[in-house]
Amino acid sequence: MKIDFSHLTQILQRFKAKPYKIYPVLTPHTGKIIEFKIKEGEEVRGPSGKWLEKPGTPLFILEREKNPKLIRAQYNGIAQNIRTDLLNRFVEAGEKVLEIKHPLSQEEIISEVLLNALLVIRAPETARYILSPELGKRLEKEGLGKVSVKEGDELLIMTFMKRETPIFLKERGTYIIYQIYFKPFELVQAGEPLLGLCPVEDLPHLEKIIQRIKAEWSL
Amino acid sequence: MKDKVLIANRGEIALRIMEACELLGLDYVAVYTKEDEESLHVRLAKKKYRISDYRDMNDLLAVADEEKCTAIHPGYGFLSENYRFARRVVKRERPLIWIGPTWEVIRDLGNKLYMKKVAHKLGIPVIPGSVEPIYNEIEAELKAQEILEQAYEEGFEEVSFLVKAVAGGGGMGIEEVKNLEEIRPVFRKVRAYAKRLFGDEGVIIEIKIPLFQHIEVQILGSKHGEYVHFGTRNCTIQSPFRQKRIELAPGFYQMGQYNFDPAKKEAEIIEHSLNLARHFNYDSVGTFEWLVTPEGKYYLMEVNTRIQVENEISAKISFVKNKPVNLLKEQIRVAFEEKLGYSQRDVAFKGMSLEFRLIAEDTKRGFTPLSGVITRFDYKEHPWLTMRTHVPKDKPYTIPTQFDPNLALAIIYGEKFDDLMEKSKQFLNEIVIEGHTFKNEPLVTNIEFLKEKLGDVYKFLSI
Repeated sequence: MKIDFSHLTQILQRFKAKPYKIYPVLTPHTGKIIEFKIKEGEEVRGPSGKWLEKPGTPLFILEREKNPKLIRAQYNGIAQNIRTDLLNRFVEAGEKVLEIKHPLSQEEIISEVLLNALLVIRAPETARYILSPELGKRLEKEGLGKVSVKEGDELLIMTFMKRETPIFLKERGTYIIYQIYFKPFELVQAGEPLLGLCPVEDLPHLEKIIQRIKAEWSL
Repeated sequence: MKDKVLIANRGEIALRIMEACELLGLDYVAVYTKEDEESLHVRLAKKKYRISDYRDMNDLLAVADEEKCTAIHPGYGFLSENYRFARRVVKRERPLIWIGPTWEVIRDLGNKLYMKKVAHKLGIPVIPGSVEPIYNEIEAELKAQEILEQAYEEGFEEVSFLVKAVAGGGGMGIEEVKNLEEIRPVFRKVRAYAKRLFGDEGVIIEIKIPLFQHIEVQILGSKHGEYVHFGTRNCTIQSPFRQKRIELAPGFYQMGQYNFDPAKKEAEIIEHSLNLARHFNYDSVGTFEWLVTPEGKYYLMEVNTRIQVENEISAKISFVKNKPVNLLKEQIRVAFEEKLGYSQRDVAFKGMSLEFRLIAEDTKRGFTPLSGVITRFDYKEHPWLTMRTHVPKDKPYTIPTQFDPNLALAIIYGEKFDDLMEKSKQFLNEIVIEGHTFKNEPLVTNIEFLKEKLGDVYKFLSI
């Protein structure tokens, strides 16, 4: 395991100094912003409910080809730096309209810290990824922290330049799939994390680390 | 009102459309996506908009309306052969001119089976194979048996099959089958692939022509019933995935070794292509693709209802009233209902031309497309060389991973064959493309492959 407790304390201190993340809200496509639904400094909520069936807070309406589209918050937090100057203007795709200052939850802190602890499979190319179908089925059935993989197993499929390339586990030993860091078919930049794996024998140590984070972060 | 063209494409073709618009004195608007920010087509466009995707019809039309465009040029790939988009462009509340054939023609000729049926009725030879899509494997096996017998009757020996997705194209969704016993599993594979990629399960079976030359005819029609052709091209040199890598014009080398009279065959192929074009009232640029066997048999494969990547080699050898031709310009002109202003008698052919497609691909490892950063891109300028590229020479360029890693087209002109080959070799020795992948390995390109394959031009090949 790549992490000890003193290292963990350092990482946690870093998060305590800045316990939030800033998410920009971009226009998904071109169009005209015809209405803002929020004001500067207002609190917004991302999708919630057991299956994330309750949609996030409405942020603004983007109209294109006579179709108004309501853009909603994908994260909890505070709306800031709202570009009200864009109201009633034609905007390009990917234009930053506002930011959400999102306080990190205990779960998110764990996920971030584990990036330093787990064997992280990173995106070899800027591409789209899915779990290999077999692994996907097992994870759906058994859940994270339960499914084991070994050297040579197919983990992911990368869709890259119109071709599908499988990604195999290259490390020796048996590992547990502990974290998933990507959404299927979304573009992932080269080098970004995809999966976090834990060697089977390190599992008890990892549990201790998580306990420690939970204890520290609830303070 | 002055016309304004929305250029609904990227890379080098966007640049060629821009150039044609400028030559015609037309305004234009370019579009791009985030990953294309470093492309020359973005740097050189005077007016441009960032959109979410080159296939996003709503984004394209929203930009066209915002900029009060009067026409859309789809380029090649993306939406260029999507008849639903072509129809929407001309039928919407604020209609635009579609720079391409009518949507009905795109629909009818894009349907390979329908096209084959019509061609057959007009007495145009097509490759022996199924004329209806096949949806189950028992039927597939029976059909293959039938095609096999038909092929033996037509004098083919050692027949193997191609199992193709009806909706496929550009080398995608094609598998070869050597024995009748393999038809079922391969059929299942292609059907699954077709469903996943094209949303259409239809599969056809054709015989595989073992040795062939890929010959294509460049047609131009106007809205006034005028038709001309700009000769033929030879696109036989392809990757193992049936993607073109070296193209030549004209399609036949008159001094070459043939078991038939090449001039006579070329004339017949052109005549058949023009007949089919007339039948459909074809009113734009179009390419009619044929396979020619060493015995001089020929079969129509498909019609491409758009401007093609390799259009410029035809333009290089064609002269209208002794002046050079620009096929993109002609395509735009006819879309705006202009008359051609010339006929076939005014078109003369002179010299030979060759195109190399320079691509970041690992030809030694299954032609894997590569991404990475190009740090040096350099070539010598020559009067006989035209480079079409969106890759800047003056700063590093990151190859986007969402598209094919096409880097540049090199179009070479020579008076005679030997001269063309000399210049082509010289070009391949002079071009420098250096860079690295994200794994920090040197970036490889297909230059060595092109050098090797240059010796195969005008040969009958198998893939």
